[in-house]
Amino acid sequence: MAKRKQYDMKTPGTRELVDEIVHGTFVKEGTLLAFPTCFPGSSAPIRADESRITALDATFDGGVYGGTSGRATHLFVGMFHGVTGAVLDLGTVEGGTHCPAVCCGEKNFVAGVNGEKGGRLVGRNLQPLPFDLIQEWGFDRKPFDEMGAIGGGEPIVHMAADPQRKFAVGASSGHLFVVDLEEKEVETVGELGGCGQIGVDAEGRFLGMDEGDALWAFDRGTGKLERKSIQLPSATWDGVELRWARDPGDGTLYTADGGGRMFSYRPDSGWSDSLGQAPLAPVGPLAVTFDGRLFGFCGEEMARLFTLDEEGVRQLGGAASVFERRRYGYSFGAAVVGRDGEIIFGEEDELGHLWLYFPKIAPRQ
Amino acid sequence: MEAYKATWYQFTEHPDADSCWSLSVGPDGRIYAAACAEGTPGGIVKLVRYNESGDRLDYLFDLDQVVDDPHDSGRATQCKIHYSFAPSMKDGVLYMATHLSGPPIDLPAYSPWRFWHDEERCFRGSALLAFDTAADEVLWYDTLIPKEGCRCLLIDEERGLLYALSYPRDHFIIYDIEKREGRDIGRIGSVNAQLLFLDRRHRVWTTDDYGHLVRYDPETDRLETSPFALPHNPQFQSGWHSVFYDAAPSPDGDCVYASTWIAQPRLMRIWPNEGEWGRVEDLGPATQERDPTLPVNMFLDHCGGLTFAGDGQLYYVASRWRDERYNPLPADHKAREGVVWRLDVDTLEREEVARLERPDEFAQYVSRGAVDHNGDLFFGHVGPRPTGIFKVWMPERRKRPDAHLPIRIWG
Repeated sequence: MAKRKQYDMKTPGTRELVDEIVHGTFVKEGTLLAFPTCFPGSSAPIRADESRITALDATFDGGVYGGTSGRATHLFVGMFHGVTGAVLDLGTVEGGTHCPAVCCGEKNFVAGVNGEKGGRLVGRNLQPLPFDLIQEWGFDRKPFDEMGAIGGGEPIVHMAADPQRKFAVGASSGHLFVVDLEEKEVETVGELGGCGQIGVDAEGRFLGMDEGDALWAFDRGTGKLERKSIQLPSATWDGVELRWARDPGDGTLYTADGGGRMFSYRPDSGWSDSLGQAPLAPVGPLAVTFDGRLFGFCGEEMARLFTLDEEGVRQLGGAASVFERRRYGYSFGAAVVGRDGEIIFGEEDELGHLWLYFPKIAPRQ
Repeated sequence: MEAYKATWYQFTEHPDADSCWSLSVGPDGRIYAAACAEGTPGGIVKLVRYNESGDRLDYLFDLDQVVDDPHDSGRATQCKIHYSFAPSMKDGVLYMATHLSGPPIDLPAYSPWRFWHDEERCFRGSALLAFDTAADEVLWYDTLIPKEGCRCLLIDEERGLLYALSYPRDHFIIYDIEKREGRDIGRIGSVNAQLLFLDRRHRVWTTDDYGHLVRYDPETDRLETSPFALPHNPQFQSGWHSVFYDAAPSPDGDCVYASTWIAQPRLMRIWPNEGEWGRVEDLGPATQERDPTLPVNMFLDHCGGLTFAGDGQLYYVASRWRDERYNPLPADHKAREGVVWRLDVDTLEREEVARLERPDEFAQYVSRGAVDHNGDLFFGHVGPRPTGIFKVWMPERRKRPDAHLPIRIWG
């Protein structure tokens, strides 16, 4: 390695460079706000080693449901609108240590939970809005409804809800299944070795990683599961556990290959060319906000926030929260779009927080 | 446990009454209570008095009628008197101020923020009444705080002033009784402390949202805030919302015993006349241990009804409830109850002396307590309608004539 010359601290622009190194490392656009898994000042957060947030979903009215992994799985709901501002720990799922997915219906939510004894589904009715959480409140915990196992207890790999939130489609390590979110009933569709996340395309078909760099596709309307239905674009897919983000406006799906190259998919036009490369690989949780901008984290150990918009991919920096909770964010496991287009990231780390990201608003042209 | 007898008096003549937020001894030594109805559209508060010769409740008047603010006007109603009885020994008047939250008769709910600018819906204002307890007559009434409710009230009899906290804006209000004029000193916060108390220097004390003592000093005519947070459980509380819920003055006037308004309330003793910010002693949690990860219902985990009795000791009611892990009460034990504790103020040891039980429902929530001139204890209860009050019959050895004196001057 070549020897370098010591920096001359009197160099013009040193102050600016120092500031850029110190502060410019962190998110440069928009605001990240870390919220603990509790009602601050009124309850304790989920224990550190039980609080890695690995699953998130949101209701139509902005409730954020999630699940944790670690020494125990907790299911929780975050409430951030009106006079709320709390994360309610709904309780632990007995024997659970990993939560790969939570899906919200209009009245209920369902979670996939894995543990030593295998995987299973649990659910509960949605948490009603509390009274004014500045004034007075009262919460209790209700037991979860046990909804059974898939294939005798195969680990649940992922689930995704349909855009109308009537049902969800999930994959275990051996089967594809459908969950009626109204009735909390489960129906096994067929054999399939699940891998990575499930996406929902613009026509409402459910897609997931299949063999041979292809996707399987499941149409709930016809009940048909088509193996190797869609060929993935030419890229690096070996060993990739797909992550998806769906544009809530037009249903465009986004994903990334093992090198962090971003692609979009639409049934009518197929795959895009590479839209750009995330600054780091692998690409982690992603979400698309209402104006079509995608935000996600990439990289291991110390993830970076990036965005994909009309101009391509840009790194936005590391995660830091300076409002009330002062915290760095290093690792993220889930993402969902909130009621008003903010992105909520689940921190997959000890003492995991929910990170609310409010993207930058572009100046009028 | 030495069990004192407890008797339940239900607000049977006010079936909508879902809360008794205020209970106080009057300057006449009798017990007054507010039968409040905040959950019923068009609900109103009735003033109630315990009739000791008949061992029953008398219903004195409907607040909406005496202050000419009818329950069916379409406005938020005169639905309750919160911690706002203030007895005056000088003239035998019991001052009281009304509070808001009850919905207009044709709406299911009321938000003071939502309807602030709505002339048809907005609460007219906290009505301040002067009730002559000797003549059983409302002498006069005034609007204490336009558009807002009165959370709590205090009288400085020597100076002829009433002090109040407004809701929802949480302003500190001073009312000159002789001039019938109010003055707004400014905002404290958002949560609303539930109590004001007075020290020997005529300073008025309360708390801000973060559990700091706040004090109004008439010498400077300013509110000042202590840099220290009141005692709280650092495991899951931060001081936020550890506002005063209730406080009883010691008979010698040297200190007050207080509880906070947050689940797992804290008991403390405050010596306001010592040092710059008084001396605060942490007397520990008032209620049982419980799961710290759950924001427990504030109506379940609660402490109120602090009052000194004729024996010179502090009495208060703390809730107790069945909890599989922390308090596995036997199956034949009520799942929730209000426990009357007697705290020996010399040793700080407490003794359970009674359990509050109503035949139809649980009775773990007590708002305020008082001792009447005969030395018996009374507690206001908040619970399923119609709610009511409890009388706890003190043993003869712990009674004394005029046990209500020196009288508590705040609600």
